[in-house]
Amino acid sequence: MEFFRKTLDPIIALAAIAVLDIFMFLLMGAWTVGGGETMMTGLMAQAVLGDELQRIPFWNIVFPPHADYWKIYISLGMLFGAFVGAVASKEFYWRVPRHLSEWVLITIGGLLMGFGIRLAYICNVSTFFGLMPEMNLGGYLAMSGIIAGAWVGSMIYKKMLEGDV
Amino acid sequence: MTPVVECLVAFLFGSVAGLLMQRSRFCNTAALRDAIMFKTYRNTKAMLVAMMILSVGFTGFMSVGAGHPLQFDVGLNTFAGLFLFGIGMVLAGACTVSTWVKAGEGNIGALWALIFTFVGMFLFSLVWSASWWPPAPETMTGQINLAALQLGFANAQTMQDKFGIPAVVFGLVQTALLFALYRGILRRERAQHAEHEKHQKEHLKKKAATAATVEA
Repeated sequence: MEFFRKTLDPIIALAAIAVLDIFMFLLMGAWTVGGGETMMTGLMAQAVLGDELQRIPFWNIVFPPHADYWKIYISLGMLFGAFVGAVASKEFYWRVPRHLSEWVLITIGGLLMGFGIRLAYICNVSTFFGLMPEMNLGGYLAMSGIIAGAWVGSMIYKKMLEGDV
Repeated sequence: MTPVVECLVAFLFGSVAGLLMQRSRFCNTAALRDAIMFKTYRNTKAMLVAMMILSVGFTGFMSVGAGHPLQFDVGLNTFAGLFLFGIGMVLAGACTVSTWVKAGEGNIGALWALIFTFVGMFLFSLVWSASWWPPAPETMTGQINLAALQLGFANAQTMQDKFGIPAVVFGLVQTALLFALYRGILRRERAQHAEHEKHQKEHLKKKAATAATVEA
């Protein structure tokens, strides 16, 4: 099938996702990832810590873990859809970062992303494909934040490429 | 809708979105990073197109009170959180979307980023449990609360209620601004292309001149 042989124009892909996102908005709420990830964190923490988790107020008050939270399944769906796409187009193969520096950067980056999402109560997907189109004040705050952060991150990255850090 | 149906719909949406992103190599991180670092806009343009469609769609339905807009107070934490996120996504080379999509393609680095996103979230849960900031959703008032560094809640719907102008009008204004940005990017790309062609022509000319001298 042609679809699995050629790279799709991202404008077409995102336009199609946007139309589907409007249906999501009408049914349940706009496309989001961070909320589902938080719930997964809670469920995993519960599996490891059991009742001990109750001692951390965040998981009682802000995000009591429960598995039938629809936002979790958007993320799992993305994983599944991407897997199907990769296999069908023969693009699935194990890619492992080679250098220790890559592992370190990914670890720091992941931690910052997780911490940032929870501090803001939203993720980047909600910022651009939820809050901004709803014209929520938070969308503009978040967008300013992510652009400033991406700029700082890019400067750090550039310095590292140049070998200054 | 029952929670099970909601989860199924969400999974279906996620699957289609994941497939489309895998096939198009769309990445939200690249949309910002590439524009800043390399002045290339492949992903930025796609993001803007989606935002234009969504601005009209969401505010259009919000005008008649339909849809489920996000409801929570925002404040300094909204800016600060996404600032940290912005640094993190560039360092990790992936955002919330591409970690899932790349993990689905067999990228162990993306899976590692995902694991540490979970760890970061858990660490924040500990910090929150000590600081109790930002305010928990149940204690949010929707009003400005400077003591808690909160600006309250406002969106196209609240503007419609306040000014009596349909939400979609605000949405169309935003879409026009996004379109102006999109046009600006297209102009910039054309200028980059023209510059590139000029350089190439000059290079060929120089090459031909050198060849002519050598022959002579």
